[in-house]
Amino acid sequence: MTVTTNSFDRILAGNAIFARRLTLREPELLAKTAKGQAPEVLWLGCADSRIPETTICDCKPGDIFVHRNIANILTPDDINSASVIEYAVGFVKVNRVMVCGHTKCGGANAAMGDDDLGDILNTWLEPMRALRRQHKSELDKLLTADAKANRLAELNVFRSLEVLKQNPIVQKAMAERGLTLHGLLYDIPAGELLVLEDGKTHVTATTETQHRLNR
Amino acid sequence: MAEQQQQPKHKRTISRYLQQSHERIFENNRKWVESKTRSDPEFFAKLSAGQSPEYLYIGCADSRVPANEIMGLDAGEVFVHRNIANMVPNTDLNVMSVINYAVRHLHVKHIVVCGHYTCGGVKAAMTPADLGILNPWLRGIRDVYRLHEAELDAIPDEKAKYDRLIELNVVESCRNIIKTAAVQQSYQDNQYPIVHGWVFDLKDGLLKDLKIDFEAMLEGIKKIYNLASSPDRRASTTD
Repeated sequence: MTVTTNSFDRILAGNAIFARRLTLREPELLAKTAKGQAPEVLWLGCADSRIPETTICDCKPGDIFVHRNIANILTPDDINSASVIEYAVGFVKVNRVMVCGHTKCGGANAAMGDDDLGDILNTWLEPMRALRRQHKSELDKLLTADAKANRLAELNVFRSLEVLKQNPIVQKAMAERGLTLHGLLYDIPAGELLVLEDGKTHVTATTETQHRLNR
Repeated sequence: MAEQQQQPKHKRTISRYLQQSHERIFENNRKWVESKTRSDPEFFAKLSAGQSPEYLYIGCADSRVPANEIMGLDAGEVFVHRNIANMVPNTDLNVMSVINYAVRHLHVKHIVVCGHYTCGGVKAAMTPADLGILNPWLRGIRDVYRLHEAELDAIPDEKAKYDRLIELNVVESCRNIIKTAAVQQSYQDNQYPIVHGWVFDLKDGLLKDLKIDFEAMLEGIKKIYNLASSPDRRASTTD
């Protein structure tokens, strides 16, 4: 591959490689995706560049329907994420919805304080700041800024799952065809995807990861 | 009776299948970590130090258009927002906060809007049907049609017309991004970010650059949408 100094040309070169690889090695995948999509999973995650869902799950084009925003915040009145959920659950008929928060989250860090980030970001992050106030006593017990932000990221996932459970189209799909909801936490330093269960903290994390998250 | 007995077995099969697909994701994730660490032992240490992506990508939620894969970029290289039909409504707090954060805090150099042919969202938007909560979101696409009605109506072939609407929807999203104070002010001060419009073709996996003239578009909207200077220029407070 020719090394290009221009960061824009680099992308188009990257795409040419992607297309060639797909054409040569997986022509059937290309033909399949050209016909339509039938993803198993809806992923609701953070816009953070370090968490490309398809890459970190080693998945392929066509596997995961995706919405990503700042700090994976879900509120019932957000028409952007609501229309993604409606389309993915109601029309595409995914079988699983995964809400994925992550450690080292800039949004969670910002929500731990009340710095003025401008009108737009202040307003967007307010549900997460409210969550911090609501869980003040629990968060106060944690020793480091990292541990506090990581726990807030987890609480934010649980809150998002609650928002999903109250969504009529989600309720209907859960009752009628067994749609399931899952909370995840992606640990950036380890590259590891952890399952979150019922308000508990990083249950499947390795001892090493748990040690780091709690530090 | 026979049917009733089969039902639980059928359900068990589905649930086993789903469980496998769920486990596959975690297995794949472990494999990915192993392979990354093998080729670069410092890969995750570097990522945990922070992110400084050069690109913001705004694309469709469609599963067949994974941002990093189609651009050949690794973890850490592109900040991503994906929604139904890669829309950028100027009153949508969700996408506006993504643009604001990417421009003012991450200082991205490029913003890419990437649509794709055979977009289900665009198709749904042009369907004369009540789609519930999707109505307000998809109405933006009908507005794009109205803005370019003469051009679109002059295209006799339905497929060609649909393709063109997908392209025009990308162009409108680019224009909406350029309308923001964050982009106008950053460009005035730093000469970045530049906004690009692309369409991904599912047939061959290639990106088509619509070659939007960023400078001309910025000049063009300034008569009405100029937000480059505000009375107090409160840094990072407006959009």
